[in-house]
Amino acid sequence: MLAASPTTLPLFLALSACKGPAVLSGPPPVSAQTQTLLHAVTAELNLIWIYNKTMAEYSGLQSTLAPLLAEHRAHLARLSARVVEPPGKKAPSTATARPPVAATSAGALTQLKDAEQAAVTAQLGRLAGASPSLAQLYASIATSEATHVTALAGRITRTRTGS
Amino acid sequence: MKSVKAAEIAGLQAALAAEHAAVYGYGVVGAMLSGGAGSQAHADWLAHQEARDNLEQMLLHLGATPVAASPAYELPFPVTGAASAVRLAASLEDGVTEAYLGLVAVTDRTLRSFGALAMQPPANRALAWRGSTVAFPGMPTSPTSA
Repeated sequence: MLAASPTTLPLFLALSACKGPAVLSGPPPVSAQTQTLLHAVTAELNLIWIYNKTMAEYSGLQSTLAPLLAEHRAHLARLSARVVEPPGKKAPSTATARPPVAATSAGALTQLKDAEQAAVTAQLGRLAGASPSLAQLYASIATSEATHVTALAGRITRTRTGS
Repeated sequence: MKSVKAAEIAGLQAALAAEHAAVYGYGVVGAMLSGGAGSQAHADWLAHQEARDNLEQMLLHLGATPVAASPAYELPFPVTGAASAVRLAASLEDGVTEAYLGLVAVTDRTLRSFGALAMQPPANRALAWRGSTVAFPGMPTSPTSA
């Protein structure tokens, strides 16, 4: 067997017409499916951040928002469990979008509802290139977020009518 | 290609079977409810009939014979009053949501999107009946919260 050494490796590569091990040319590119999964993780981190911020500023919304926040944490855990960190790229662990929270509690609820609706749209956009099981996870999370939109809309209505 | 079509048809048939069961089940639910809840049950019953008809048309378009409804269905638990009727309604919606999630596993992009979007109405109806959301609608072991 030909041993790999500084002198024999170039000869071996020339003889075998190989391009050489991939490690010599840097980490392989991240697959589109992994890239999409990493975006989904970041999106959940961003939602969790805005929920936490809103709950910190409007304690009266705790009972409404805490269960929804818990579900987002469950989404994040399930998505993160699917990530196999690509070489040279760490899975995201912090929010990338930190918008200011609206100036009123009703405005903050609307802000969250809009964020949830945008999340639904984004999850549905991830379906096409995903494996069947990952597509089902995105679809289930999108559906959960759609029910959050409904729940938040109901709370907004009750806030406006004072009931 | 043939196997892909078979998978699509199987997914649609499963969704149709779930809609048949929901149409039957809402007959039981509606019989136990009155007032606003009864009206809601009636509206949901109609929504499931519409979804059923739509799925039947999709299957016919694919050249398949839509599965027929069973003459009767075994309820998951005895329904003896309004409270258990409401629980049954939520359970029916969970079953339909799960069936549409099955459709998301097919490779056809159009059907995959259809399945994902079709999960939302039953999940929202389940929210209305149950009064709370779940983290993973349609997943067999949905951890509940709220």
